[in-house]
Amino acid sequence: MLLELKNIFKWVNSGGQRIFLLKDINLEVEEGEFISIMGPSGSGKSTLLNVIGMLDAFDEGEYNFLHESVHTLKEKHRANLYKEYIGFVFQSYHLLDELTVQENLEMPLLYKKYKGTERKAMVADMLDRFNIVGKKDLFPAQLSGGQQQLVGVARALIANPKLILADEPTGNLNSAQSEEIMELFKKLNSEGVTIIQVTHSEKNAAYGSRIINLLDGRRI
Amino acid sequence: MFKNYLKIAWRNLIKDKTFTFINVIGLSVAFGVAILLFMAGFFELSYNSFHKNGDRIYEVYSVQQSPKGPQAGTTMPSPFAKSLQNEVPGIEKITRVLDVSTMALYKDKEINLDAVWVDPDFFSMFTFPTINGSSNGLQDISSVVITENASKKIFGNSNSVGKTFNLLISGIEKPFTVSAVVGNNPTNSTLDFEIAIRFENNPEYASTIDEWDSQYHSVYAQLQNDVSVAQFEQNTQEFVNLHYKEAIENLKRDGAVANANGKYRELKLLPLKDVRFTSFRKGYAAISRSTPIIILGIAGLILFIACVNFINMSIAKSAQRLKEIGIRKTLGVKKKQLFFQFWGESLFIFLIAITIGIILSVLLLDNFKSIFRTAVTLDIVTSPLVIIAFIAIILLITLIVGGYPAILLSRIGTIQSLKGKLDTSGKNRVRDVLMIVQFGIAILLITATLILRSQIEYMRNKDLGFNKEQVVSIPLNGKKNSYSALQLLKQELNGNPDILGVSGSDNNLGRGKDGSQSFSMMGFDYKGRTVSTNFLVVDYEYIPTLDVEMVMGRNFNSPADSLGVIINEAMAKELGEEDPLTAQLEINDGVYYPVLGVVKDYHFQELDRAINPLTYYMSKDWDLTYAYVKVASSNMANSFDAIEDAWHKIEPNAEFLGSFLDENIDRTFQREKSMATLITSGSVIAIVLSCIGLFAMSMLIVSQRTKEIGIRKVVGASVFSVTYILTKDFLKLVLVAFIIASPIAWWVMNEWLQNYAFRIDLSVWFFIISGFLALIIALATIGTRTIKAARQNPVKSLRTE
Repeated sequence: MLLELKNIFKWVNSGGQRIFLLKDINLEVEEGEFISIMGPSGSGKSTLLNVIGMLDAFDEGEYNFLHESVHTLKEKHRANLYKEYIGFVFQSYHLLDELTVQENLEMPLLYKKYKGTERKAMVADMLDRFNIVGKKDLFPAQLSGGQQQLVGVARALIANPKLILADEPTGNLNSAQSEEIMELFKKLNSEGVTIIQVTHSEKNAAYGSRIINLLDGRRI
Repeated sequence: MFKNYLKIAWRNLIKDKTFTFINVIGLSVAFGVAILLFMAGFFELSYNSFHKNGDRIYEVYSVQQSPKGPQAGTTMPSPFAKSLQNEVPGIEKITRVLDVSTMALYKDKEINLDAVWVDPDFFSMFTFPTINGSSNGLQDISSVVITENASKKIFGNSNSVGKTFNLLISGIEKPFTVSAVVGNNPTNSTLDFEIAIRFENNPEYASTIDEWDSQYHSVYAQLQNDVSVAQFEQNTQEFVNLHYKEAIENLKRDGAVANANGKYRELKLLPLKDVRFTSFRKGYAAISRSTPIIILGIAGLILFIACVNFINMSIAKSAQRLKEIGIRKTLGVKKKQLFFQFWGESLFIFLIAITIGIILSVLLLDNFKSIFRTAVTLDIVTSPLVIIAFIAIILLITLIVGGYPAILLSRIGTIQSLKGKLDTSGKNRVRDVLMIVQFGIAILLITATLILRSQIEYMRNKDLGFNKEQVVSIPLNGKKNSYSALQLLKQELNGNPDILGVSGSDNNLGRGKDGSQSFSMMGFDYKGRTVSTNFLVVDYEYIPTLDVEMVMGRNFNSPADSLGVIINEAMAKELGEEDPLTAQLEINDGVYYPVLGVVKDYHFQELDRAINPLTYYMSKDWDLTYAYVKVASSNMANSFDAIEDAWHKIEPNAEFLGSFLDENIDRTFQREKSMATLITSGSVIAIVLSCIGLFAMSMLIVSQRTKEIGIRKVVGASVFSVTYILTKDFLKLVLVAFIIASPIAWWVMNEWLQNYAFRIDLSVWFFIISGFLALIIALATIGTRTIKAARQNPVKSLRTE
């Protein structure tokens, strides 16, 4: 088992009332799965993804990732854990505007103590694999949305994570570009990468092996 | 990784050119100015620190309890030094120092030299390294030590050891031999001379050799290694009681009250390093290093303002870096790494700014020196200790200034930063406090500038009681006897319709081009008590020449009218006679001088002193040192030239150093003036820097509130109301700064004004005007930005959000 959520609650206090963002979520994810989280706006999809990605804390419940209990870990260890095993893909790509494609790809490696030559090889490998060698010296602003997201996925993958978390990865893309990215995910999944994506689109959700529906922070 | 940081830093700087420019320029200017001011401040503090034995050398001064309160002074009588050394244990070396310029005659040259008349110990106590000749050059009574400059002036080269020339002492030429040439005096020395002559040669010596009541020179003593100052001072009491027995009895008779130790007269030691900063005017040695401290303070304030700008702008700009922080966090960056990244960026900017600042300070050094009249040199900053201290200070500043925003940025949560929203809704306490302090400093400096300048103007324009506009004073620095020189001058200028009067005295008014200022006082018994008075030897036409008003009696009639004296009102009051004209003063033992007339009080000394008793006296036994010429108010330039021509005819070899008295008076405010220039420039820079900061802040806040502005306009707000909303917050800060700074300014300036016996009133207007000025400057700075934002088409501002 890759990860396991047990009775996860997350809430905020607003005007003396407790508003639940996540309510009693239970989820088990095996390695190699491709899960789509669906639900209307405000149902807690992104919050759930952030909790899984350890970017956000929860108020109650247990979270085990590769047999480590995340809820008892200190922040430093937690950061080490997700740095090692998780790659993120965002709706608005979140590439650093000041860095070129190549430099953006290299960045995660900088925080993982790879040597310079090793980094170069891995970046070259990734550029090759995604067919973007010709764009390596361009800045994000010089790329189309689809190309930027391609770089975003490549960056998420570069350190060989076990799990990719994608928050509406095709939300800013047109249908052709979306399809390209989803095909890419499918291919990666078939190569053994576990993927959890948040999506609004039935069509994208269909790429996954399992769909989780959320409404008002609760699984239905 | 480091390369990556550098790249990001560089590209960020390039992207935001205005900000980078403002930041770097602001910091560079601040560093440049601060370096100059620090140098000036430390230079001032370094006075007399170059003497190797300096820690053991003291100037001897005495404090006596007069009936009017304590009086302190450094002048000592001729036999004092030797007796002190012989009778009180603990003195290793001692020297008398008389500082009176003298004239050197060599071939046909006549050269006025700054002279010190000293004892042989002088050169073994003080560190004035010998270049040529004997290291202890004053063994022989007719040998002199001269500085390199003086040697060049007299002999045309710096190796003049063994050469003989004449000195003009009391009108008589005496031969002296150069035994050593020393380097020119360091600029940070209070002992300032071109020639050192044995004390025994001084013109007063013969008549005062055993006189304990004729005090006219200072004494410096070097204590033995293990002697403490307190112990030594205690040990002198017997010496004082012995030699000043009569003086102490007179004090008791006149009703003086003993001091806390039960003493009427004491000897004290003033450390050499404090000499520059000591004033005896209040009856004790008041040591105040306020000038260098103010200079250092201003430097600190300017640096502080620039650093505040930097902090504020870094924090404000961080909004634009949030996304980057978020992304880096999802990629697993550690807080420490983020901290070092942002701190490194600050360091980078600081390094650039410091480099530019250092270059600026080196380029501006010469201008700085001439504007602020400091003799500071680069030597002072090239010692390794100073450089290490400098680097340490810079690192500390960067650590704080760059570190604070870095800590803030590295603390932000991942999700929050990814969303790109930072809570900027006006709750930025630190920013507000910093800006208040910044504006407070600006207001403080503006107020200080205004008050300082008003006091100087007041002193310049004050009616001093004599005619300062139309009178020229000329130092009688020639070879001729002063009375015959004055007589010749009168003849020479006789018949010139623009010359209204010529006279002379033994003291200048204000400070002339010769740079000398002095005073002489005398005390005598009058009806069973001691009366002391300032003492001025004059030519008989002195009073009409200076347009001093007579209130009683008459002026001297002729040069022969020397059997009486004229006094001022303060002296008349001191005598306590109902009719001062009946008084007879026993100025010389056994000879009584009737008071011929009384003049109205006038400011014959600087305005930081009250008007003291003054007695005019005519006697050819005392030389005159200055001639005074009154000119008509028309053709003043021509008259001045005529005086100069006449002087050159009379003394062809002497330099003409005449100047109008109002210039002389101005010269006495030199300290105040350079202080005013300094504080003015300091406040201008402080204001400009604060404005830079304010401008940047307004730019940012406007850009952060674009959406709000759009919405307000859509629902019908006018340009004015939007501008008002945007400006209001800043104005509040200025107001708070004003409320905090004004009382501080009042307190500081009030303290400062206490130094002046004649001073302006601290009116409320000074504070209101400076507050207003700060307000207007702030408004002007942020106005352009806010009005522009308020006028923008709301559709456009909404779309950008």
